[in-house]
Amino acid sequence: MELIDKLSILADAAKYDASCASSGAPKRSSEGKGGLGSANGIGICHSYTPDGRCVSLLKVLLTNFCLYDCQYCVNRRSSNVPRARFNPEEVVRLTLDFYRRNYVSGLFLSSGIIRSADYTMEQLVTVARTLREVHEFRGYIHLKAIPDADPRLIEQAGQYADRLSVNVELPTGESLRVLAPEKQLITIHQAMDTIHQGQQAVAGEARAPEFIPAGQSTQMIIGADTTDDSTILRSAESLYGNFKLKRVYYSAFSPIPDSPGSVPLAPPPLLREHRLYQADFLLRGYGYQANELLSGPGNLALDIDPKLAWALEHRDMFPLDLNRAEPAMIARVPGIGIRTTKRIVELRRQRRIRYADLARLRCVLAKAKPFVVTADYHPPQADTSSQALRLAMVERPQPQQLGLWG
Amino acid sequence: MICLECDGLFSQWRQQARWLLSHQVDPSQVSWNGEREADLFSAPHGLPAEPGPFQSRIPQALPPLLESASQYLGEQRWSLLYEVLWRVSHGDRTAMLAGDAIGSELHRRTKQVSREAHHLHAFLRFVERPEADDGPAYVAWHEPAHDILERAAVHFVGRMGRQRWLIATPRDGVFYDGNTLHYERACPPAWADLARGQGDSTHALWRAYYAHTFNPARVNPGIMQGHMPTRFWKLLPEGDLIPKLVAQARHGKQRDGQAQAVALRAGKAIAGRPGLPAAQPAPDGTSKP
Repeated sequence: MELIDKLSILADAAKYDASCASSGAPKRSSEGKGGLGSANGIGICHSYTPDGRCVSLLKVLLTNFCLYDCQYCVNRRSSNVPRARFNPEEVVRLTLDFYRRNYVSGLFLSSGIIRSADYTMEQLVTVARTLREVHEFRGYIHLKAIPDADPRLIEQAGQYADRLSVNVELPTGESLRVLAPEKQLITIHQAMDTIHQGQQAVAGEARAPEFIPAGQSTQMIIGADTTDDSTILRSAESLYGNFKLKRVYYSAFSPIPDSPGSVPLAPPPLLREHRLYQADFLLRGYGYQANELLSGPGNLALDIDPKLAWALEHRDMFPLDLNRAEPAMIARVPGIGIRTTKRIVELRRQRRIRYADLARLRCVLAKAKPFVVTADYHPPQADTSSQALRLAMVERPQPQQLGLWG
Repeated sequence: MICLECDGLFSQWRQQARWLLSHQVDPSQVSWNGEREADLFSAPHGLPAEPGPFQSRIPQALPPLLESASQYLGEQRWSLLYEVLWRVSHGDRTAMLAGDAIGSELHRRTKQVSREAHHLHAFLRFVERPEADDGPAYVAWHEPAHDILERAAVHFVGRMGRQRWLIATPRDGVFYDGNTLHYERACPPAWADLARGQGDSTHALWRAYYAHTFNPARVNPGIMQGHMPTRFWKLLPEGDLIPKLVAQARHGKQRDGQAQAVALRAGKAIAGRPGLPAAQPAPDGTSKP
């Protein structure tokens, strides 16, 4: 099989993993040195595909032969997909060739499980080791850690990779039992813990060798089972807490060819995935708790974003006087982000904040208006009920032309 | 009205601005590079020969901010900077904050400039020259909207190691010989020819990768365009694939995420019970249906 055919099959097989970040790597440079590649912590999206997703890394599987039969996965044992396998040298060469031409900033390598978890993990480590030691490659490497692999192999992988990820795939043990019979939540958590221990062993030791400086991440598939957003967010929150994950990715289940009866035939609304990312961002960056965003079971609202939903439920805290409020509270106003909050605080040291300043600071005024007080403005909607406000602020979807093929 | 010329150089503008400030010349009395039509009632004249008496202190953060904004190509490129400088040196620090009318424009410019530098780092594509003499082994043609090349090209020194490379644009160009960066404000025609006249066989692999990593079940061209402005498409080896992929995803019987080319191939389900190593890929990596 030609290299280009393998690349086509194994890129197609790898695209359901949403992560493509290349940020968070420490400063590395090849200036005046042999080898290739640099990193400075900032990710680069070298291209965007027409689905709007960033192409930052060469994202491929080493092979899509797989012993497992996970129902949501296009590469499951029983799936009728074309199969291919790279040898490690081919992946190394593709990575370097793509990197030199500035197509990508590094490699994201995953694999189907062949022979055994250990064998598969060894193959992934071989690619990373060859890149780093033989070719002195200083670009970004993200490796998938295989849950049942020997912890020593996972530790080795961590010495070469900038990021490791173990996918939890489904947020509950019960869903895994039904849809991914070969996977277990406990071994997934053990692998995450192995990685977390490795990070802690070098934390604070300036001279220790690096261990996944860009942290660990995971992915959950949304809409392949009936788990609600509340369970998903709580599970994400405990992953952030227990294993200090850098990111949890949410991937809306994408229907696959020859779909088995156990998974849905239609995708969930992409907006659901988007709302989960927004909520996740509020957990990581804004200090919200999962139970503030969703107090009981259920899903996030699709028609308004989670920050606006929270503000509408806590009208007693608003309107907020931007000239006096704590920065952490300002960041909770819908339409005002962390960056704008900093700028507001900077400006109010010089003079009082006025309404026109908010427009210049690029706040989303349509959202912020009912919730803020400035030197020259008090919201006329301060006494409007939350329900009426919500009706006025829902994002109405654009009318859609019906598809010719239904 | 004082009309000045700074040849597009921040260092030169900075000297002129310092001089003007020492004479307390009001921003409305000065223009650069013929930005403003000479006023009908005022005769153009140059700078006074001696520095003036006025002395001021400005915050340390201001010069880098002005320098960054100076790379923006647009109306009143230099006089806007002088107005900010004048106001800050006369005690009005809000002029350099994003909440102020002119400060907001200043920050918009620095943001555009850093975005354009990021576009260079992201969307530039090097082409390999197979028989490179002592010239560059990798060449690229890029069309930045702002004057960012000189500062932004340094990124590739760290990235490419000891390789020799060249970047040419319609305005300027830069060549790295493995040790030193050579910058030319006017791109030599030989550089431009070198950068534009090359093909690269690896582009075919990249195009295949691009088409297959795309998930047609999630097609959303609006978001893509927001991140990757259309003006760059013609410079990208994958650029001409975009309309085709969008059309295929929208008008075909696309119901899942698999690329059509892969769907057309013969598939292979793997026999075997869980836990048993039944599937053994052939050593040459092929699968037989």
